[in-house]
Amino acid sequence: MPIIQVENISKVFRISQKDPGLGGAIKALFRPRYQDKVAVDGINFTVEPGEVVGYIGVNGAGKSTTIKMLTGILVPSGGQIRVLGRDPHRQRVANARDIGVVFGQRSQLWWDLALIESLNLIAKIYDVEPARYKQLLDQFTETLELKELLSVPIRNMSLGQKMRAELVATLIHEPKIVYLDEPTIGLDLIVKERIREFIKQQNRESGTTVILTTHDLGDIEELCPRVMIIDAGKLIYDGPLGTIKDRFGKFREITFDTAGSLDPFEPPTGTQVVTQEPRKLVLRFDRTVTTASQLASTVMSRVEVADFSLAEPDLSSIVKQIYGGALQKEVSQ
Amino acid sequence: MIQTLRRNVSAYNALVTLVPKLYLVYQSVFWIQFLLQFVSMIVLVYFWRAVYLGQATLGGLNLRQTLNYMLLVQWILPLLDNGLILHFGDWLREGKLAIELLRPLDFQSQNFVREQTDMFFFLLQKLPLLIVAWLVFGLQLPADPMRWVAFVVSMLLGKAILFFFQWIFACLAFYTTDVSGFYHALNAAAVFLSGALVPMAMMPGWLQRVAYSFPFAQAVSVPVSLLSGIIPLTDLPRIWLIQVVWLIGLAGVSRLVFRIAIRKVTFQGG
Repeated sequence: MPIIQVENISKVFRISQKDPGLGGAIKALFRPRYQDKVAVDGINFTVEPGEVVGYIGVNGAGKSTTIKMLTGILVPSGGQIRVLGRDPHRQRVANARDIGVVFGQRSQLWWDLALIESLNLIAKIYDVEPARYKQLLDQFTETLELKELLSVPIRNMSLGQKMRAELVATLIHEPKIVYLDEPTIGLDLIVKERIREFIKQQNRESGTTVILTTHDLGDIEELCPRVMIIDAGKLIYDGPLGTIKDRFGKFREITFDTAGSLDPFEPPTGTQVVTQEPRKLVLRFDRTVTTASQLASTVMSRVEVADFSLAEPDLSSIVKQIYGGALQKEVSQ
Repeated sequence: MIQTLRRNVSAYNALVTLVPKLYLVYQSVFWIQFLLQFVSMIVLVYFWRAVYLGQATLGGLNLRQTLNYMLLVQWILPLLDNGLILHFGDWLREGKLAIELLRPLDFQSQNFVREQTDMFFFLLQKLPLLIVAWLVFGLQLPADPMRWVAFVVSMLLGKAILFFFQWIFACLAFYTTDVSGFYHALNAAAVFLSGALVPMAMMPGWLQRVAYSFPFAQAVSVPVSLLSGIIPLTDLPRIWLIQVVWLIGLAGVSRLVFRIAIRKVTFQGG
């Protein structure tokens, strides 16, 4: 049975319209104008317990608005949401007990308090049994390398340290569902890796359901077997990451290190020259038109090849295509 | 039911312990506030002595009664604090409201607990001033324990009344985002209409009626008048009844306003 059920939800915001400058501001004071902005437009999906779902889209696509409706802090303009069988807005407090949320740009920790003080307080608010709290605290601080930082006030922490602390605070009450809204924003590669490992571990060992919004496609590749893509408030894709790679990852790159230099090269049909240097040739080809072996034999018949390598489709280029309307074009064809 | 109650008591207790921790982070602020309050107390005493020059009574109160009243008002002035309204504005502008709403506690109750704790902390912080007023400026405190009981109950009711009243204005932030205008207007009205600037007895009759039609006096003038003996204890049942009516009415309206206003919320900054 799904842990999250979303039926035809929408969210419309009323936005004040002002002309630029002081005159515009004064005019708006006496004759305010408003415009409706549809942030989320008739979305449907379900999530099963233990799934890790990547929720992606460009800025302003409606990702965070959806997450806020799922957490119960924003009321949908239409449609219905059930999270663990509850209406998350009407039963906000009960829902809050069973979920954890990380907003990458906001902190739930108390700025002036030492991390341990904040965590103790959160454990009491969520009524975490003391022995269990101690066990989880030890485990989490060990995995995320936070032991040394427990007595440090949040305001004195670096961005990466803060985000690791946020994750501990979010998971210390063992929520059934965790919403991670851009948890790796602005972090360096090492911290990102550590955070991804921690999320994977929680999902694997505790069966925590994870909904992750991110612009970092590394997060998606590492964590999410399933991807939902939202664009202008509409869900335009919901399915396995592998499927979307197969459908839109038809372009691959093959790199040849040549022994000698190659004369101006006329690429075969379905192939483009990306780079041509005296001892290097990079070709981009459509695998539905030609194959890597055909291309390799064509190049090898022209010049001696010392080595070659084939690059798998890159998720960022696939997502760029989708954001650029590739899915809609496919549907209209 | 009992488990929920136990869980809530534990959680709210944790919030209570949070307040002094946060205030004591910046210790210099504590001492600066103390010094400022001491100076303003000296100014207040000399101001009223000047006002009474050549007059035995004003509004039926002699200098000793007025000074007693005003010194006690200085002590409980934090009850008028409108910080809740500014909190709402800040939370909305900075998008922190999302975090606050995600805590598994009733939103109004957690704010109520925090505000009441704030008040206790401030009263405690100002207690040395009360002692200074007693030792240096001849503040007279009643020996009758019933007066103290009447004062404490009336003060708690008054603070709760003001909390629910301020809550209604704080909810306007969901519509306007910026509430600093409401904050300043309410502050000005609160100081004047609560009897914190001049005792209610010195106001003309029509102004007293206006002042009592707002809830501010319930938090300042009423409890202080009980403690300083301006209001006789025989009036206590009537006073408490009025306060309870204010409390129930404003509590109901404030919850209704929040339930409607929360549907309008827009979280700033994604």
